[in-house]
Amino acid sequence: MNSLRRSFGPILSLVIVVLVGVWVIGMIVGPQLIMVEQSLWNKEIGGDAAMNSTRIDRLYNEVDTLGFDISDAEALAESPKRTEKIATITAEIDAKKSTIKELEAVEIKPEKIYSFKNYTLMGASHFFIFVKTIGAAVAVTIIAFIVCYPIAFTVAKVATPGKAALIMLFLIIPYSINELLRVFAWLMILDNNGVANLLLGFMGFDPISFLGSGAGVFIAMIYAYILFMVFPIYNTVETLDSSQIEAARDMGAPTWQIHRKIVIPHAKPGIAVGCIMTFMLSAGSFAVPNIMTRGIAEPWFTQLIYNKFFESSNWNVGSAYAFTLVIACIVFIFMMMRFFGVGIKDIAK
Amino acid sequence: MRGMDIELRDVSIRFGGFTAVHPTNLKIKAGEFFSILGPSGCGKTTILRMVSGFLNPTSGDVLIGGKSMAGIGPDKRPTALIFQSLALFPLMTVRENVAFGLEMRGMAKGPRSDKAQELLDLVALGDQGEKTPDELSGGQRQRVAIARALAVEPAVLLLDEPLSALDLKLRQHMRSELRDIQRKTGVTFIYITHDQGEALTMSDRIAVMKAGVIEQVDTTDLVYNAPSTAFTATFVGANNMFKGKIKEVSSDGAVIDTKYGLLRGTNPKNLSVGSEAILFVRPEKMTVQSGGKKSDNAIDVKYERRDLEGAFVNLHFLQDGDKFSVHQTNVNLKSHEKGESCTIGFDSKAGMILATGELADE
Repeated sequence: MNSLRRSFGPILSLVIVVLVGVWVIGMIVGPQLIMVEQSLWNKEIGGDAAMNSTRIDRLYNEVDTLGFDISDAEALAESPKRTEKIATITAEIDAKKSTIKELEAVEIKPEKIYSFKNYTLMGASHFFIFVKTIGAAVAVTIIAFIVCYPIAFTVAKVATPGKAALIMLFLIIPYSINELLRVFAWLMILDNNGVANLLLGFMGFDPISFLGSGAGVFIAMIYAYILFMVFPIYNTVETLDSSQIEAARDMGAPTWQIHRKIVIPHAKPGIAVGCIMTFMLSAGSFAVPNIMTRGIAEPWFTQLIYNKFFESSNWNVGSAYAFTLVIACIVFIFMMMRFFGVGIKDIAK
Repeated sequence: MRGMDIELRDVSIRFGGFTAVHPTNLKIKAGEFFSILGPSGCGKTTILRMVSGFLNPTSGDVLIGGKSMAGIGPDKRPTALIFQSLALFPLMTVRENVAFGLEMRGMAKGPRSDKAQELLDLVALGDQGEKTPDELSGGQRQRVAIARALAVEPAVLLLDEPLSALDLKLRQHMRSELRDIQRKTGVTFIYITHDQGEALTMSDRIAVMKAGVIEQVDTTDLVYNAPSTAFTATFVGANNMFKGKIKEVSSDGAVIDTKYGLLRGTNPKNLSVGSEAILFVRPEKMTVQSGGKKSDNAIDVKYERRDLEGAFVNLHFLQDGDKFSVHQTNVNLKSHEKGESCTIGFDSKAGMILATGELADE
């Protein structure tokens, strides 16, 4: 805190502290806590409360019907009976309206009964999709690493500066295009009557349903998140003193040993960051599976969360699903850090 | 370990349009401490990288132990390179560093640990094996690099200015240490440096290099006492210079006509009358004249200042924009006033007349 004040002065450091505070509390901790809170109660547990919306609807209908009765009564000739009739109906409407208000108050602010029930509601099929999504995200991460490590190493250590800049440019250009468009390009390639199947047809093969098998999601996802693996690895490999590679070679190390003993240990923090980012992005991706499964293939877990929120309108179970995914991702981060033997400090570097 | 001899046969190296090393022939004897001395950018590191196998010569051939090294990579050559940055592996312990080459050669864990210990003892780091390189001092890291290179039992050890990162005291200490290790192991050392002091104190022979050309290859004594070109004369050690034209040649030397009059010196390159030449005199062979005692050659100059180096003192003189220096032992020094007229002189055997040529930048 003091060092902050020394480098930025009191006013600027106050602004920084306030902004960081607003960011951390308002955009990370707050929403997360609200979500956790949502996931821990269920309004449908109350029994009677479950019927509330039906009762409210019925009461509204009754009020409308009574409105007609009033118009009928008003059409009658002026008489004490008419006045009495109108007064009776008006009283009835007011009574029903106040009941509606009471019921709506319960509807908006339901009685919360806290429990972990939402977390136990996941059925076998949803749990299978959850496991499959996590497994697929791990596979995307591994494949992205296998693809990206040679690219990152080449750019950082093998290519001449000019060529390295060119490779980087070719890697970055596709990323200046919207992610959805990039994924749509893959849709055009992998669709049942897409480019890939066209080529297979020319070569005399039967068409393959890339999208139906779920392979489409996989391919598009590796493509969509590859840069998030390349850059962290590139950044760490780049800092390796090239003479260490030469020294290892000079002492007789074959290429794979140079990578195993010198380059990869040095690049560990970058690899960990790349793996974490790729995993989080693919496990949490909604757009890519939404476009690439198109209802043909099994959905990803993110699509299930979306359905819970916006199609079943059940925010409580939706929150429980979402928080389960968050937990899985956090567990993955710690496993990665353990596996690579890196701490938060190394990653921050 | 046994050293091997190295031969460069007509090697040249070009990078695009730039010639880093002009066609060169060089023979380095087995077990020799050989230095390549030159200013930065003269191509000495390029030669080293070529011998170690990281660079292929554009033309010509490198022979180690009489065998051509064409097509043989750095991992298969009997050489080990010590990098300027040392290139120790920071994530390994000192022992793992030293044992790395052995591990890569498939030696089992037990023997390679013993061998690493033996080498650490050789460089007096026997009890530092479990530390990581960044826990060691500069001189210790230096010795780890040497032990690591020696572990693979190279016949030739190539050193690329390895002492340049050390401070003066340590550098001087490491000179004798390197020399010791070379004698103990008998490995051929090729030592790259721009520091003439390092080259003179450690080497058996020195190659002086300039702009991709080896100017002179000789023993340390000859490089210092009998430089063959104006460049060597000015790059190795200090020299006083008198430019002029050769007026007269005789069996024991020549006379050169300078703006300070006729000066007499030796003529090792047998320059002929009329050729442009420079007469060089080492500061320690120059004296300040006093009384009637006169040298063969005498020049009138103005006293400027002195630099005391402890045991020695450098006296600086000025005349017509030319600078002269006289190196004296710190015994019975006479004091002079700034601007005082003095006469300095030298014996004609101490002056060397060489052809005019490019000089080393001061």
